[in-house]
Amino acid sequence: MERALWGGFMRSAEKFPERPALSAGGKVLTYRELRELACRIGATIKAHPEFSPTPLTAVFAYRSPLAFAGALGSLLAGNGYVPLNRTYPLDRTRMMLERSECRSIVVERESLPQLQAILAGFQRPLLVVIPESDDTIGLREQWPLHRFVDSRDLDPPHAWREPAISDNSLAYLLFTSGSTGVPKGVVVAQRNVISFVDYMVERYEITEKDRLSQMFDMTFDLSVFDMFASWERGAFLCCPSQKTLINPGKYIRDTQLTVWFSVPSTIAFMKKLGTLKRNQYPSLRVSLFGGEPLPVSSAKTWLEAAPNSILENLYGPTELTISCTLYRWDPVRAPAEAELGIVPIGYPYPGMNVLVADQNLNEVRPGEEGELLMNGPQMSLGYWNDLERTATAFVIPPGKTDTYYRTGDRVRRPVGGGPLTYLGRNDLQVKILGHRVELGEIEAIVRNVTGQDGTVAVGWPRTASGYGGVEVFLEGPPLDPDILRNSVASQLPEYMVPRRFHFLDHLPRNANGKFDRKAMLEILESGL
Amino acid sequence: MNRFDSEGLRAFLLDHLAKRRASQGRDVPKELSDDCDLLLSGMVDSLGLLDLMTALQEHCGREIDFNGLDPEQMTIVGPLCDFVSAQMAKG
Repeated sequence: MERALWGGFMRSAEKFPERPALSAGGKVLTYRELRELACRIGATIKAHPEFSPTPLTAVFAYRSPLAFAGALGSLLAGNGYVPLNRTYPLDRTRMMLERSECRSIVVERESLPQLQAILAGFQRPLLVVIPESDDTIGLREQWPLHRFVDSRDLDPPHAWREPAISDNSLAYLLFTSGSTGVPKGVVVAQRNVISFVDYMVERYEITEKDRLSQMFDMTFDLSVFDMFASWERGAFLCCPSQKTLINPGKYIRDTQLTVWFSVPSTIAFMKKLGTLKRNQYPSLRVSLFGGEPLPVSSAKTWLEAAPNSILENLYGPTELTISCTLYRWDPVRAPAEAELGIVPIGYPYPGMNVLVADQNLNEVRPGEEGELLMNGPQMSLGYWNDLERTATAFVIPPGKTDTYYRTGDRVRRPVGGGPLTYLGRNDLQVKILGHRVELGEIEAIVRNVTGQDGTVAVGWPRTASGYGGVEVFLEGPPLDPDILRNSVASQLPEYMVPRRFHFLDHLPRNANGKFDRKAMLEILESGL
Repeated sequence: MNRFDSEGLRAFLLDHLAKRRASQGRDVPKELSDDCDLLLSGMVDSLGLLDLMTALQEHCGREIDFNGLDPEQMTIVGPLCDFVSAQMAKG
């Protein structure tokens, strides 16, 4: 029989009912309390099968207890969850809800004003579950098309019954930005996540005594590790407020976190605010970074502040379920194995297969670079209602018989079986005056000269065949551009030497905290 | 009022935010009350806040150690200015 993703949570709730399961929005919920709320939501959704023609429920809640109870409740109803985020632009949220074809939605109080704006013009009837409200008369009158359920109408927790689980039962649907500008909905199955969580909780020996950070919003799939690794083992999931995300140092100490997971950019932020001093975070025993390349210098800075911790670099696109390769930092080996000043992405998870291929998808020899393709138990089901884009990204390479996911990331597998190193995105390869140029290489050399991790190179200006040259954005105080250019010029062919340097206090980042290259191009376009 | 007392810092914040928002084509605040939460009021986003912290440190001519300030308070005008001014008075 197939296992359910909520199974680990329910076992922990049985075993540790009075231990804390979640801290969010200033409240702490025990396993018993979180189970009750999630079961009430799950039973309620399941009691209205006419609202689950697609096996998905949207959760419109942000870093609050209801966000987590809503995700669990969706799973307990037999549906995958679709996280919506009120800090996103309203139009994007509306598009996500429409594209998902969800017919049920769990909403927290703070997101109600946005929901009202979305309901205007929404054509399909929705089941709207609002567990924090005890009066929805006004809403019912205003929106007769939709069915509202408030705290008084929620089913009791004992009404919940286990939903049937199949091989393709969904865990979640997440939207990632597409290179064409239209977001893609990645459909991830419960079995994908279970395979990932099983490995991670064993590897890090998570127990009920652990306290895990929840730095990621639910709209970012790295949040899935924090939630389900915690609940699988009865640990305490600690979700800081939106404000604390910027400077989480005090939160780490006050909460005595033991397991940390964030994007590497957080290291640069904390350093700037003076909150990464020697031995400041002795409680941490596991530190994980993912979502963007991890500079060697950032890893070293972090470990000085968290000296009792191991550090691992996790790599993985949403399509391969959270992360699918990893690399354990070692003070001697890691800098030697790093390429372009970036910590390697390491080795695949058990059962995951790696293919490094050229543009015709033929495997390249060890030592050569190529695009990373992978398959295995974490390969997701593809893109929601988008067979065309699924077929483009999930392919059977020549000479193979099974499907691989094309990551679009360029890697190298060293001769002799060393760790995979990350070289950049396929689409960061640009043509400048006919030469093939890796922007990552220019970034690495500039980073080496300045010591600043926040370094982004972009092709500029655009020409018919590619770009006329390269310009570099740097995060930090201005440096003498002539001296900088001379240092860089000694290491690069002329066509790769940046024409201009732009110094910004903060480089633009997207909603997930990654550098936003498009925004930087817009700065250049605006002529600043 | 001097540059680094609470009132002076408030004037600096107002000036900085006004310039930043004007450059983004957004409306410019006339005043900042003590209980104004810069982040939650939408005055700045998280990157804008870091930008502000950097500008504050440059204005003060030294690094400010934000370890002692509760992150929940860090975005509120009164507590932020009081904290930085106390740090400056300590020398």
